[in-house]
Amino acid sequence: MRTITLTDAIREAIEEEMRVDSSVFVVGQDVRGAIFPHTKGLVEEFGTDRVVDTPIAESGMYGVAFGAAQEGMRPIVDFMFGGFSYVTFSECSVTTGQYHFLHGSQHALPIVITAGVGTGQRLANDHAMSIHGTFAHHPGIKVAMPSTPYDAKGMFKAAIRDNNPVVIPWHMGIMMLKGEVPDIGDDYIVPLGVADVKRVGSDVTVLANSLQLQHALSVAEKLAPEISVEVIDPRSFVPFDMETLLTSLEKTNRLVIVDEDWESGGFAATVSARVVEQGFDLLDAPILRVTLPNMPVPGGYMEEYVAPNPERIEAAIREVCL
Amino acid sequence: MALSIDQKKSLMTNLIRAEEFNRMMYRRMMQGKLIGFYHPAEGAIAPGVAASTFLNQDDNLSPHHRGHGITHMLSKGIDIKYYLAEHTGKVTGCCEGRSAFHFSFPEHKVYMMSGFIGYNFAPAVGWGFAAKQRQKGQVVMNCSGDGSYGQGRAHEALLMAQNWKLPIIFFCENNGMSIFSTAMEMHPKPDISSLAEGFGMPSAIVDGQNVFEVAEACLEAIARARAGDGPTFIEAKTLRFNEHDIGTPDLSGWEERSEQEHAEMRAREPVAIATKIALEEGWLTQPDIEHMREAALREITDVEAFADESEIARPPVEELMQGVFAP
Repeated sequence: MRTITLTDAIREAIEEEMRVDSSVFVVGQDVRGAIFPHTKGLVEEFGTDRVVDTPIAESGMYGVAFGAAQEGMRPIVDFMFGGFSYVTFSECSVTTGQYHFLHGSQHALPIVITAGVGTGQRLANDHAMSIHGTFAHHPGIKVAMPSTPYDAKGMFKAAIRDNNPVVIPWHMGIMMLKGEVPDIGDDYIVPLGVADVKRVGSDVTVLANSLQLQHALSVAEKLAPEISVEVIDPRSFVPFDMETLLTSLEKTNRLVIVDEDWESGGFAATVSARVVEQGFDLLDAPILRVTLPNMPVPGGYMEEYVAPNPERIEAAIREVCL
Repeated sequence: MALSIDQKKSLMTNLIRAEEFNRMMYRRMMQGKLIGFYHPAEGAIAPGVAASTFLNQDDNLSPHHRGHGITHMLSKGIDIKYYLAEHTGKVTGCCEGRSAFHFSFPEHKVYMMSGFIGYNFAPAVGWGFAAKQRQKGQVVMNCSGDGSYGQGRAHEALLMAQNWKLPIIFFCENNGMSIFSTAMEMHPKPDISSLAEGFGMPSAIVDGQNVFEVAEACLEAIARARAGDGPTFIEAKTLRFNEHDIGTPDLSGWEERSEQEHAEMRAREPVAIATKIALEEGWLTQPDIEHMREAALREITDVEAFADESEIARPPVEELMQGVFAP
């Protein structure tokens, strides 16, 4: 095993899939020069037909991916920042999600949509918002986000090989996070729709993803002498692995959901509702959510206490364990 | 590009079919035998026939929504019975009865329909991108109306098609109306094709009531695209005889369109214009034309029987859920 960063892991997944499947290509804005490291160097190996820069025209840019996917290619479309996908939201959510189903489930639409998301850069709402909850709301699109370099490589490979539209953003707060990844050439995937117990515990379950997963793990370590925290990474939001969560709740009977999205109408709300519907009898305490308050994400220094953080996660864990 | 007599006969056949299919759809809507709505194509059938008749099966086509694309699809060789079955909510529909007015014929590269006007521009860039990479001379016929060129994505598509010399024909069926609003009011210039100039794209304006004139321009643009010489903008000036969709008032702005306007439009009826040319040039006789119409009516009888005899699609939710994602 080697130790590499999250963005290097994503780049390796893209490179390796592009080598074995000539229908895979990347389209975005300044992906050749690589605004972020996960597309760095791709153009030298694969050329400008497969690493494609477009004008600042998100609808047209996404259209390259959408139309090419209908033509049997496997595009990876990179929005740079997740919020930029909203510029062409009718295409990348509504029309994308309905294409297969509404037209009689006769034609697959394999598109990977990626972008950097999340707080930590102090850039404010349009550059900092999460997109997973919004896309998860629209049927017909798979949604996932990696939390470690190992998951990133395996999940991106799974997304590229999937025959459906897959939204797989990555969190800028962990872009340089290092972790163990199998050697180049040791092919593996992390299947979409499978959660992962990242830390075993018995008193409370914390569901958290990406940067917030790292926060949850550090809090769990800190609280270990007094509270045994089980930390589950959903990895995929659609499809969501409800079974792993319910199995954990059978043991812990307490749930904290950490989600770097707004409180209202987000993924955490969906999971809360499902647990109440399917696992009400397992609960010994109300479910608590640690989310963004319902305000546009502020930039500057206030981001660090408005967004979910270790202090808020610890407080929620202590509250459900009272 | 001059048309052969066989090509002219094909156009005439499809024009008459388009006219009769539009009448059938209009009648069924009035009879309550269609789901949803219908946007009648009367007066505006020549451009779609001209744009679609000479496409190959592996060329991409995005039909104009007027007439719900039937004019275009039947001209490309698609059997309309599966679309009528869809539009009547039947299990035999092209989308399994799930989609009302949407259509999808992937094997003919008519992939989709969306209720968002101008939806076609973004995927058209992708179809052109794929066609260019494949280097098999495939073209993209991207049809839409004057109204759709208000969309920013139309301008994005023009930009990228010209940047990359994609084999796309931007085919604007300008009937001068988007619902109640006139193109004169919604666009700064009378010719939508003037947009092409800003992108350095060649363009042509043709009489959209004359199917032969439109087809000549289309064949030229198709040949350019197949040869790798890039996109062309064709603007066919056409007319909308009826209201926007059945049941909506027939307004211009907020007032009824005048009887004089209707009379002037009716004098420009596309089948009458084509018939006059065919008889004058002598490559069809009146009985030939009557035979074409009889054949079209027989085809429509079969299409309606297929749709009417098919079962209504009412699958259980669990079964529908299986179709949300591809395996």
